[in-house]
Amino acid sequence: MIDVQGLSKTFGKKVKAVQNVSFSARNGQITGLLGPNGAGKSTTLRMLYTLLKPDSGTAYVDGYDISSSPIEVQSRIGVLSDAQGLYPRLTARENIRYFGQLHGLEVEELEGRIDSLMTMLEMKPIADRRTAGFSTGERLKVAIARALVHDPDNILLDEPTNGLDVKSTRTMREFIRRLKEEGKCILFTSHIMQEVAALCDQIVIISNGMVAAQGTSAELLHHTGRDNLEDAFIDIIGTEEGLS
Amino acid sequence: MKSIWIVLKKETMDSMRDYRSWGTGLFWALFGPLMMGGMLIMIGSSVREDVEKTLHLPVQNQAYAPDLMQFLEQHDVIVEDAPGDPEAAVRNGDVNVVLVITKGYADDFSRGESATVQLITDSTRQMAAIEVNRVENLLEGYNTRLATLRLIVRGVDPQIVDVVIVKDVDVASPQSRATSLITFLPYFLIFAMFNGAAPIVTDATAGERERQSLEPLLINPVPRRNFVMGKMLSAFPFSAASLGVTLLGFVTVFNVLPVDEFLGVRISFDVFTLFFIFLICLPISLLAGAIQMVVASFTNTTKEAGTYLPFIALIPSLPGLAIAFFPVKPALWTMLIPTFGQQILINQLIRMEPVETMNIIISTGMTLVSVAGLSIIAIKLYERERIIARKG
Repeated sequence: MIDVQGLSKTFGKKVKAVQNVSFSARNGQITGLLGPNGAGKSTTLRMLYTLLKPDSGTAYVDGYDISSSPIEVQSRIGVLSDAQGLYPRLTARENIRYFGQLHGLEVEELEGRIDSLMTMLEMKPIADRRTAGFSTGERLKVAIARALVHDPDNILLDEPTNGLDVKSTRTMREFIRRLKEEGKCILFTSHIMQEVAALCDQIVIISNGMVAAQGTSAELLHHTGRDNLEDAFIDIIGTEEGLS
Repeated sequence: MKSIWIVLKKETMDSMRDYRSWGTGLFWALFGPLMMGGMLIMIGSSVREDVEKTLHLPVQNQAYAPDLMQFLEQHDVIVEDAPGDPEAAVRNGDVNVVLVITKGYADDFSRGESATVQLITDSTRQMAAIEVNRVENLLEGYNTRLATLRLIVRGVDPQIVDVVIVKDVDVASPQSRATSLITFLPYFLIFAMFNGAAPIVTDATAGERERQSLEPLLINPVPRRNFVMGKMLSAFPFSAASLGVTLLGFVTVFNVLPVDEFLGVRISFDVFTLFFIFLICLPISLLAGAIQMVVASFTNTTKEAGTYLPFIALIPSLPGLAIAFFPVKPALWTMLIPTFGQQILINQLIRMEPVETMNIIISTGMTLVSVAGLSIIAIKLYERERIIARKG
């Protein structure tokens, strides 16, 4: 459960990246942050995973304040950020194990968890190979397993299908749906309308750092009086620029 | 605290697998001993050769000056026939010096007048200087001896012509020149410690950012300071190993080469001294990691870090260079400066001078205080948003 209350963030003196953003993402639901490139989606997410401090407003993850209890928040979220670098001299298993250890998992629990993630992501054959030279798809699997090694209830995904081929994109979407079935709270950003429309229970449209509209896709259609989501999005944002 | 250990363990394992990085560090560790060994051999051999070697001196018209030839031979000179064109031979570098006895020499000599000899040299040739100097000294000696004899024959006290007697007290003998080389030793030790830590720190900071793994790492529920401490400490074993390798390298050099003979001083490098120097230097390994963590926080790529960190290695080793030329007594203020104090202590140890315990305590203490200060700065730097907000 993620509850965002009036988040704002300014870079330097002029760039108002995020202004007074409020929404909530519930357990067992997929919430999508949709907006053109540069709308403030990633900045919002970065504040939620505590690497950026909000100028004003705050957010709660399972009731923990991101500003005052960052460590509590970090142990309750799994993040697949835009940066997905692995350690090339470590094997896939060692990469995942390192993050599990940092989450404070004990040996038996950790190794069991790594094994089940590897089965689920079909990555047994690459488990004990060093990650240098992995394909994009293989790297992504390691990054996902690493982010979910502590079995978090809240999952933040920043443009998770960006740069993936069709096969990897499908795998990714199936994976997101499976997490939803497990009752997780999933929040992901995207600038791809079809993706958001296909996956999300709740849609938050962000434009120029502000929430332009939010609701289910049915609510958004009703609100704009359009009969397809694409037109509805363009109506709300006011431009087609930066979307696809 | 446990997370510091986890980070430390991972970084150490990761770095151990990066053969190229620590291999480079190892090369730097051996650089000092190799270079000093080379210089010792060069200086040592030039000192011995020029002083002890019998001098081969080509002389033209030997027959005109049998007395002088006899004098030269008595002084370890092997008189040889001069080449046909002495000036060309010297100019071409075939010989360093040629002594030419002029035609009128025999007559002037027997009349008791000033007889002329020519010494053909090339003053631009440094290598010849020692040989030329030696011939000049011999001729000067012959001149003084005969002059004295002639005065005595005429019933004059020879001292009457010695208005001023100049006695050379040459402090800068070839030996002492070589001794100053030893003063470079601490410099190389510190250099090796910094270079041992550099690749590890670079990979754990700028490298982490370059391969885009820093952001995912920092999302883990671990206080930022524990990441910094773990990464900083992971450089310590590599830096200490560099120090160890450098010391062993020096031991090898000093045991293989007859250093006592070259330098005219005894250099102590027994197991105890070695271990003691190692312990005195260890805090500097921590310091190397801490300084480099601070500097690396400003760099985006390993390439960028690679341009800054070697300079960092140079700064603390500069005092070592300075004391090679301006010897400093181990006063309190020198001990207050991290790395400077240790360099003076090492010098004392290898010269077998007594070392004051208080100086060791102060120097170690000040170094550790600096490490603590720099660690706090590093933690503050890594707590800034900028650490992830900008990308390489």
